[in-house]
Amino acid sequence: MTPFLSARGIVKRFPGVLANDHVDFDVRSGEIHALLGENGAGKSTLMQIVYGLYGRDAGEILIEGRPLDLRSTRDAIAAGIGMIHQEFMLVRRFSVTENVVLGLKAGGGLRPLDLAGPAREIAELSRRYGLQVDPSARIEHLPVGTQQRVEILKLLYRKAKLLILDEPTAVLTPGEAEALLKVLRTLADQGHAVVIVTHKLHEIMAAADRVTIMRDGRVVGSVKTAGSSEAELARLMVGREVALTARRSTRPAGPSVLRVENLTVGDDQGRRALDGLSLDLREGEILGLAGVDGNGQSELAQALTGLRAAAGGRVLLGARDLTRASPADRRSAGVAYVPADRRHVGSVGALSIAENAILGDQRAYARFGLLDRRRSRSFAAELMERFDIRPRKPEYPAGKLSGGNLQKVQLGRAIASDPRALIVEQPTRGLDVGAVEAVWAELLRLREAGKAILLISAELEEILNLSDRVAVIYEGRIMGEMSAAEADLRRIGLMMAGSHGEEVGHADP
Amino acid sequence: MDVDFALTAFLTGWLAATVRLAGPLLLAALGELFAERAGVLNIGIEGVMLLGALVAWWAAWSTGSLWLGMLGGMAAGLTAGGFLGFMYVTAQASQVVVGVIFNIFALGLASYAYRLILGGASGAQTAVMFSVLPIPVLSEIPFLGPILFRHTPLVYLTALAAAVAWFVLRRTAFGLNLRAVGENPRAADTAGLDVTAYRYAGVLISCVAAGAAGAYLVLAQVGQFRETVVSGQGFIALAIVIFGRWDPLRATIAALIFGAADALQLTLQIFTSGVPPQLLLALPYLVTILAMSGLIGKADQPESLMVPYSRE
Repeated sequence: MTPFLSARGIVKRFPGVLANDHVDFDVRSGEIHALLGENGAGKSTLMQIVYGLYGRDAGEILIEGRPLDLRSTRDAIAAGIGMIHQEFMLVRRFSVTENVVLGLKAGGGLRPLDLAGPAREIAELSRRYGLQVDPSARIEHLPVGTQQRVEILKLLYRKAKLLILDEPTAVLTPGEAEALLKVLRTLADQGHAVVIVTHKLHEIMAAADRVTIMRDGRVVGSVKTAGSSEAELARLMVGREVALTARRSTRPAGPSVLRVENLTVGDDQGRRALDGLSLDLREGEILGLAGVDGNGQSELAQALTGLRAAAGGRVLLGARDLTRASPADRRSAGVAYVPADRRHVGSVGALSIAENAILGDQRAYARFGLLDRRRSRSFAAELMERFDIRPRKPEYPAGKLSGGNLQKVQLGRAIASDPRALIVEQPTRGLDVGAVEAVWAELLRLREAGKAILLISAELEEILNLSDRVAVIYEGRIMGEMSAAEADLRRIGLMMAGSHGEEVGHADP
Repeated sequence: MDVDFALTAFLTGWLAATVRLAGPLLLAALGELFAERAGVLNIGIEGVMLLGALVAWWAAWSTGSLWLGMLGGMAAGLTAGGFLGFMYVTAQASQVVVGVIFNIFALGLASYAYRLILGGASGAQTAVMFSVLPIPVLSEIPFLGPILFRHTPLVYLTALAAAVAWFVLRRTAFGLNLRAVGENPRAADTAGLDVTAYRYAGVLISCVAAGAAGAYLVLAQVGQFRETVVSGQGFIALAIVIFGRWDPLRATIAALIFGAADALQLTLQIFTSGVPPQLLLALPYLVTILAMSGLIGKADQPESLMVPYSRE
């Protein structure tokens, strides 16, 4: 059978990088095809080329065996190729119907727009593929999982036969992810071709028929999932054996270090982001806080570090009440923080690594108000040696570091302050496997050194691998807490969707 | 004097003046609505109104044609719009800075050009002016007739423009696309819309409308050009957009309220009262500061207002 889409010998160069090096890629109608690879392996580049967002330096693209003259996304859409980006491309204040038809009349037009006809068609499509989307609903009122199905509707309405989804489950609860994979299966069964770009191995094994693995801009394998295993895929992806399971400590946790009592905090819109949340962080343990993004995790981290005022409740470090303390006071009291946004919150891109390394501790490096550059440079050099930060130049601008290296700067800075409690938020988001290993190892070392660590992460795998205890946050409240031994994916998944995880019932709201 | 008669005369005079004075404000606000809905805050309309007023006066004075005057005002707006659009959209400069500086520049340019045009002529030169065109039958309705239907054609055209603006924004593909660009330009771009083109369209519409509003002031209200002919009415139009929550129909109501405030001080001058007219004169500007301070209307503001867009 001729594949729906074939990419033959695709070459794409960016300044200094060969992003795609003679890549061949096939996807057939009726299959779910996973595209696997680390960050920078070239999988996104390949998909952007297929979708017409990037031009290619060599190679051709065939649709059902015929060469496609692909110059823009418009050509791709006309050929039946559709793509859903990680960040949804929806206008929040528009209805589902308005979002679906947006762009079909790109040139404008001043005649009355018919929305009733499309609305009926969308309702029909939604029924046929089990999408459960109300065409008249406004996007801002829909949960994330439904918004994603609106994106799918946009493609189906444009008669897409190939649907490319970039990291589609990154923003979903496990329940929503399962529902999505079911929808994708329905689409494939009805003759669509589906590509999911992902690095989640268990998802690939569960949902995909075939998987193509990329590394360093090349395809290193294309296998049926039925005859493969997670270990094999991981080996192909990284190019060596990986052990992404951390050893848990048997050492019991010590006394309480950081206590949060009934903390209530507002978000930027004045809504209640944390609603009477309580936590107890103990010496020598990692407490994993699981939850779908946007359920108050960032606000919690900010409230703990003094970046956001508490409306009620208390934050205690040992016996000391820090609820009203400034960020600087909290730092000197021993609370360190590694923020999720390492580029904009955790570092100043225009400053050098050395300058970033002492950020917040400038006073310790100053004499009579003047910075002692020699000392800050030697401190940075030490840090770079210890954490293997590259390039090893203290004067290098932090903004030009890769995500993994920048994260090591942040982490190293936090550790160097010898904190009692460490709050790390999404520590491995966007990092490749090698960097993930390094960050995990460092967190475990700190735990062994007796630090109290709060690990805020949307990656369940990370939470389960590192934590001694797991708490689940949902809409600003802790839904439940359990020891690592009791933690299982299903129970946590239910709590992430807002149920208490005890009853056996529907995961979908 | 009969009290009832005096009251009716006062009300009729006041409300008719309200409609008259609201006209240019509304016209400028309607245009601004398109720019802001596309994501561009065009503060420069104050200066564009002034340039429109100058060119309209010059065209009407030298040709003797009202409509050529109006056309001249709009052409001035279009030219200014090309420049402002380039600064806002292509150069992606700070919209506030560009707008404010443009207003200062326009004031200098207009004053200089005015002197140049007048040359040796002494005193202000009066251009032809639109006369009142009472609508048959409707203008005879007691009370309402004189308030609503005894105006220059520009008032009726402005009312029509409000209805058209509402229809275009709410009911057409152009309006949907324009609003999408102002809310989420990335989504619009991904959907295949030309973000730059729609933003230019918004800026050009706002500038042509502002030019027309400037022409309106000269050709229907003042008859001459003066450097003070606009004096902040462009800023009031910005406030009207906010009070009207970015909707043409609600903006119409907001414009009438500002017009009423302005008319009140005019009417009170005639009817003499204890309130110093200067105080009333300052009131709309005070309200404008309040509106522009961001205390009002944040919830309805287009999400990408003042945020330049680039692909990466």
